[in-house]
This record gives sequence, structure tokens and C-alpha cells, in this order.
Amino acid sequence: MGADLFSIGRSSLRTSKKSLATTSHNIANANTEGFSRQVVTAETSTPIQSGNNVYGTGVNVKSVKRVHDKLIEQKLNHSTSNHSYDEQRTDQLSNVEQIFNEINSDGMNKIMNRFFNSFRELSNQPENEVVRNLVRDNAHIVTKDFKRISNEIVQAKNRIDSQLKGSVDDINSLSQTISELNVEIIRLENIGGEAGDLRDKRDSAIKTIAEFMPITAYEDGNSQYVVNIVGGGSLVAGGIVNKLAVRETATDEVGSYKGEARVEIGFAANASSNLSESIKGGTIGALTQTRNNEIQDLRLQLDEMAHGLVHVTNAIHRRGYVNKEIPVDAQGNIINDPRNGKITGINFFKEPIDLTQAAEKIELSDEISSDLNNIATGLSPNSPGDNRIAIAISKIQHEKILGDGSNTFEEAYLQSVGSIGISTGKSKVNEEQSKGILAQAKSIKERISGVSLDEEATNMIKYQQSYEASAKMIRVADEMFDSVLQMLR
Amino acid sequence: MSRVSEGSTIHAVNFSIGKTKEKLENLQLQGSNLKRVQKPSDDPVGNMEILSIRSRKIDGNQYKRNASVAKAQLSFTENAIEELTDIMVKAKELTISQSSNIFDPAIRQSVAKEVAQLHNQAISIGNRRLGNKYIFGGHKTLTKPFSDEGKYLGDSKQTKVEIGKDIFVPITFDGNSIFFEKNGTAMKSESPLKNSPFENIDKQFKTKREAPQFEEIIPDNNSELDINRIPANDPAAPKSLAEEARSSIFTNLKTLENALITDNHEIIQDLLPGLDDNIDRLVQARTSLGSTMNKIDYSVSAIEKNDIINEEYKSKIEDADVAELFTDLSRQQNVLNATYKSSAQLMNNNLMKYIN
Repeated sequence: MGADLFSIGRSSLRTSKKSLATTSHNIANANTEGFSRQVVTAETSTPIQSGNNVYGTGVNVKSVKRVHDKLIEQKLNHSTSNHSYDEQRTDQLSNVEQIFNEINSDGMNKIMNRFFNSFRELSNQPENEVVRNLVRDNAHIVTKDFKRISNEIVQAKNRIDSQLKGSVDDINSLSQTISELNVEIIRLENIGGEAGDLRDKRDSAIKTIAEFMPITAYEDGNSQYVVNIVGGGSLVAGGIVNKLAVRETATDEVGSYKGEARVEIGFAANASSNLSESIKGGTIGALTQTRNNEIQDLRLQLDEMAHGLVHVTNAIHRRGYVNKEIPVDAQGNIINDPRNGKITGINFFKEPIDLTQAAEKIELSDEISSDLNNIATGLSPNSPGDNRIAIAISKIQHEKILGDGSNTFEEAYLQSVGSIGISTGKSKVNEEQSKGILAQAKSIKERISGVSLDEEATNMIKYQQSYEASAKMIRVADEMFDSVLQMLR
Repeated sequence: MSRVSEGSTIHAVNFSIGKTKEKLENLQLQGSNLKRVQKPSDDPVGNMEILSIRSRKIDGNQYKRNASVAKAQLSFTENAIEELTDIMVKAKELTISQSSNIFDPAIRQSVAKEVAQLHNQAISIGNRRLGNKYIFGGHKTLTKPFSDEGKYLGDSKQTKVEIGKDIFVPITFDGNSIFFEKNGTAMKSESPLKNSPFENIDKQFKTKREAPQFEEIIPDNNSELDINRIPANDPAAPKSLAEEARSSIFTNLKTLENALITDNHEIIQDLLPGLDDNIDRLVQARTSLGSTMNKIDYSVSAIEKNDIINEEYKSKIEDADVAELFTDLSRQQNVLNATYKSSAQLMNNNLMKYIN
């Protein structure tokens, strides 16, 4: 009888202690990212039947479980992917946008404008050397700005490329961690161990992957834990990992335009797999999309501008004659003397130039760089006052040359800037929204799984009292045992 | 009752502080330079408009510069023509006074000297320069347009400048049309490029888009500004001008001088209509010059008016509403303070504090 009391008391002490330990663990991890609070589930031990009476045998710790909701976890992963997509896209687009921001500084638009207006100035005084110098300087600035923009775009692209590589490496190592955790969790749980903390770790890893790309994670029928890329294939299945790799495609050709290689994400084991189209969220989705669409488009548009400028300016400029005395015969025909150098047909910008990388390669022609008198203003030889070529070049400004004759240079440029501005603005709005949704999902998760110190304080007192009571119970049992022993004296 | 955990409290606090601060930062940035649009994404369409208005402004400034250059050159030319008119009027007076046969040959000799003087003056006006440019040489602005004998060495082309989008005005009058020709056809600068497409534009470029035609880029003369049209359209102008014999200012003066020397009053008399023609044409040239100058003034004032309208419009897009901005700013600041206070209250309290 007394022995029963002892063992009931002991089981109660043990349970209270375990509960207190769990409370302490919860408090310790109150601020641990991804931690789910744990609760001790107690149950009554198997009662003993003796005659007509049933005797209770105390309490047992049935399990220590984390408080966790799968659906909310999924929702959180989903909104994490969405938000990190929007956030990354906003980052990248704002970055690109800054290249074209000329609200507070000079940019391509102003520079092009000055270029055309310097020709207009030249038309006022085609004889003037100083104005020719101004024209050449402005033209030089135009070429420099084309290069600046094209360089900055390439840099943005390179940053994205290295960021993608880094992300894929991270995903691969996280996948590895998850597969190891899968094995460990199954092993631990098979021998009746507690795997709550390991499960938290796994959930954290999954959430980190969800920042990179949208995934789904679930336990299949054979208690195999599977991580799938949404719309892709499986990343982790139990202990098996499918590693990812970043690949570049062959150059992207649009007609005669050879663009940059596109970047693709695929499984390392399968060279032909391409997940880029399926990964629509997460930072990887944002990076590939920005790189393969916006940045690629901008480069093409910029190249088209540079190419168009070179060709049209040259086509006009070639018809002009140099600003030099050109010897003529008695009939007024030009005497062609190679010693005089070229007198007409001079290119303003360097030719030949392909559409591909035109913005990077635009350059003043050698003739123009070396001699200001090679800037032609006149349509006829020996006419220093002839300004028709200068006027014609200045009028390119208002000519619808780009986009199959639908846009002037300015219109085309402003459209590019406008579209990047619109994308960025849209992305910012999306980011704001997804940030709210993510915060909501996080807060729901925290409400369910997070540690509340108030709650833990209550639990602490509750279990402490229960521990004290059990201890007292044991003392009572001890005294009872004593009384029995004294009866024998 | 929904559960509140430490994590959810912290998230809520972070989220609300972050959001308020972001708004405040944005407002602060606007307040620092009073611009509503800081980057294209703040207002993509507005940004396009701002940039385009800026371009128009630069264009306008250049057009205004062109206009002032044109005006300077035209007034200079006007002075020259005025002086030339005075010379011709003087020559006409002399011709009238010498047209009878009752004059002393000795006096005629001295008048002849005066006429020779006038001839030289006319030539020097013909060779007048603005800066280093000969104003009557057509496109040959750096070489003397008139020889000492009055032979024209320039060409009959006009320099035009753009003083407003697609508005071209002539800024030079070639010597040929002022001193020599009766009808103004020479003053029409026929572009040899008219109707001819750009050459040598490589195939690839051509297939992508139609190359612009030269004439689209250099609009053929804005005909209403073409000074030749003015006499032609003027009903008062003699219609038969073109058919009349060629009589230049120099040949008329030279003939007068010779006739005076040889004492031939009939030739002197015959010269009168020719001299009248010369003067008429100079007057016509001045009239058209004056109307060109008016056109320039008109165009400049149109540009200036546009500048004001554009500036106003740009300011509407670009500039922050100061009153609204600072109201928002102080409101946002209050919100932030309130958030701080409530967060402090929420975070600094829990049951643990009360357990001893």
C-alpha cells in the first residue's frame, strides 16, 4: 500500500519535473527563430484492479510534442516565396531604374538632346571652329553615356548571375541538411525519441529554401518527407537529394540581334532540365525573370538606339563635304587628289557597327576624332556657309526612326525608362502587399507555435506547485510507513 | 481569444514601426528637395513627361539662340541693304539731275567720279562681313563674293536656320539676288537632295525600318517665309520683271559713270527705269526681311509662352505639395511616436515580472 503511494508520488514528481524542464526549454527558446513551443502530454498510468476496486497507479509522460500546424506552415512558406520574389524584384528593378534616373542629374535624354542641339548651334555658324568642337564634345559625351548605361546594365546582370549561383549553392546545401534531418528524425522517432527540435530545424531549412523558390513539403504515405519545387520536380525525397545547377543557354537571338545568353536553373544530374520557366516565385524567380526579361529588353532597346543613331547620322554625314578648300577644275568639278584626304563620304561615328552590343561599341570615327574640319556641315563642296547637313542631323531628333518608324529617339528612350519605372512601381506595390501577407502568416504561426512568457510563467507555477504537492505526498507516505513501523515497537 | 506569443508581439511591433518609418523616410526625402518624383517608379508617366518637357525646354533655348543669331545677321543685312538703297537713291538723283543735255562736261566728269565712288561703296557693301562671314556670298561665306569690277563670285544659295520646331528662316541673302537678278528664282534654294532617299544605309538597317527621306529631315523651304514669294505674290509688283533685261546695280552704276564721262545723256536717261528696278528690289528685300524678323519675334514669344506653360505643368508633376507634405510629415511623426510608446508598453510587460 505504502509502496504504491511512493511510486505514484514518484511518477508525479517525474512528470512535474519533465513539465518544468519543458517550460524551461520553451522559455529558453522564446526568441529562437523557427522554434515551436512544446507541451508535455501526460496520461494516467494503467490502473490495477484488485477485487472489486480499481487502484490508480499515477501519471506517465506520454509525449513531448511541439505545437505546430502543417497548413499554416505551408501558407507561411507560400507567402515567404511570394514576398521574397517581390522584394528581390523591387531591389533589382530599383537598381536598374537608378541607371535611368535623371530627375536630379543629367542622363541619356538630356545628353542626346544636347547632341542634337549642338548641331543646331552649328547650323547657325557652320564656319565656326569652336562650335565644331562643341559638337564633337557632345557627341563624345553621347558615346560615353551609351557605354555607361550599357556597362551598368551588364554589371546588374553580372550581379544577378553571381547571386543566382550563390542561391543555388545555398539551396543545395539546405537540401542536403534536410535529407540528413529526414533520416535522423525517422531514426529517433522509431526508437521513441523526441524529434520536435529537429522538425523545427527542418521547417526552418524549408522556409529558407522557400525564400529562394516556391516549394511544397509533405510527408508521404511511407512517412518519407518530400520537398517538391512547385511546378518542377522533387528536390528532396527522404534521404535523396536532387542538386540544382545554374546554366547559361546559347546566345539569345532575336532576328539578327545576338543578345546575352539567358540563364537557366536545372537539375545538376539532367543537363536538359530547365526549371526557369516553372520557378515563378522566390528570389530565384525574381532574379531569372529580371535578368532574362527586363535587363535583356533594356539592352536590346539601348543597342537599337545606339545602332540607329550611328546609322542615320552617318548616312547624312557621309553626304556632306569637309570644311576645307577643295580644289576644283575649270568646270567646277572636284579634282580627286588622294593627297587631300577624304573630302566627302566621311562617317561621323565609327563603322561598321552591329546591332549586337552597339551601345557598348559606339565610338566617334577616326576622321572626326582627329580633325574638326571633317565634321561636315555642307551638302556642296567649298561652301563654308552651307549648313544643310548640320540641320539634317539636328532634325534626326524629331524623326521617327526607331521601332519600325514609330518612335523618335527620345520617345523610344522615354518608353524604355517608363516601362522600367512602371515595372518597378508595380513591384513595389506588390512587395508592400506581400509583406503584409507574410507578416500576417508569420503572426498566425507565432500565435500558434510561439512561446508566450505569460503562459510559461503560469505553467511554471502550476508545475512547481504540482511538484511540491507530489513531494508532500511522498512525505505523507513516508510518515504513514513510519507509523506502521512504530506499531511494531 | 487568440493566443499572443512573444514572437507575434515582436513581429507586430516590427511590422508597424517598419511601415511607419518607411513612410516617414519617403516623406523626409520629398521634404529634402521638395520633389514629388524622385525616381521613375514614383510616377512613371510623370517622369516621362518631366524629361520630355525638359528636352523641349533645351530645344526652346536653342531655338531662341538660333533666333537671336538670325536676328543679328538679318539686322546687319538690313543695314547693308539700307545703305545700298541710299546709294541707289543718290545715284538716281544724280541720274535725274544729269539726264538733260544742258550740263557742263566738266561737272559731269566730277559727277562721274562721285558715281565711281558710289560704285566702290556698293562693292564694299557687297563684300561686307559679319565677324568673318561675308553676308552676301550665299554659301561661300569665307571668300569675297564680289570682285573689284563687281563680278559675283559667290553662289545663289541661302543659309537657313531653325528658329522653332520645323520653322526655318533664311538668314542670308545671296549677292546675286540683291545686286543682280530681277526675278528671285535664284533665292529659292533648291535642295539637290530633294526626293532622294538616303544612300548607303546598309541592308540590315534598311530592312528593319524605312530610312527617312532627306527631304523629310530638311523640310523644303518654308515657302511662306521665302522672301521670293513675297514680291511674286504682291499684286503691286511688276509681273513682267522676269522678262526684263538683266540690269545689276554694278552694271547700272558703271554704265552711268561711263555715260557721264562720255557725256551721253540719252544713256543716262535710259538708266532711270533700271535704277528704279534696283531700288524697288532693295525695298522688297527689306520688306521681306522685316517680315522674317517679325516671324522670328513671333516664334520666340511663342517659345517663351510655351516655356511658361510647360514649366507650370512640370511643376505640377514634379514638385511636392509643400503644405500637404509637411502636414503628412508631422502626422507620420506622431504616428511613429505613438507606435513607439505602445510598443514599449507591450514589450516591457509580462507575468514573470510579478513572480517573486
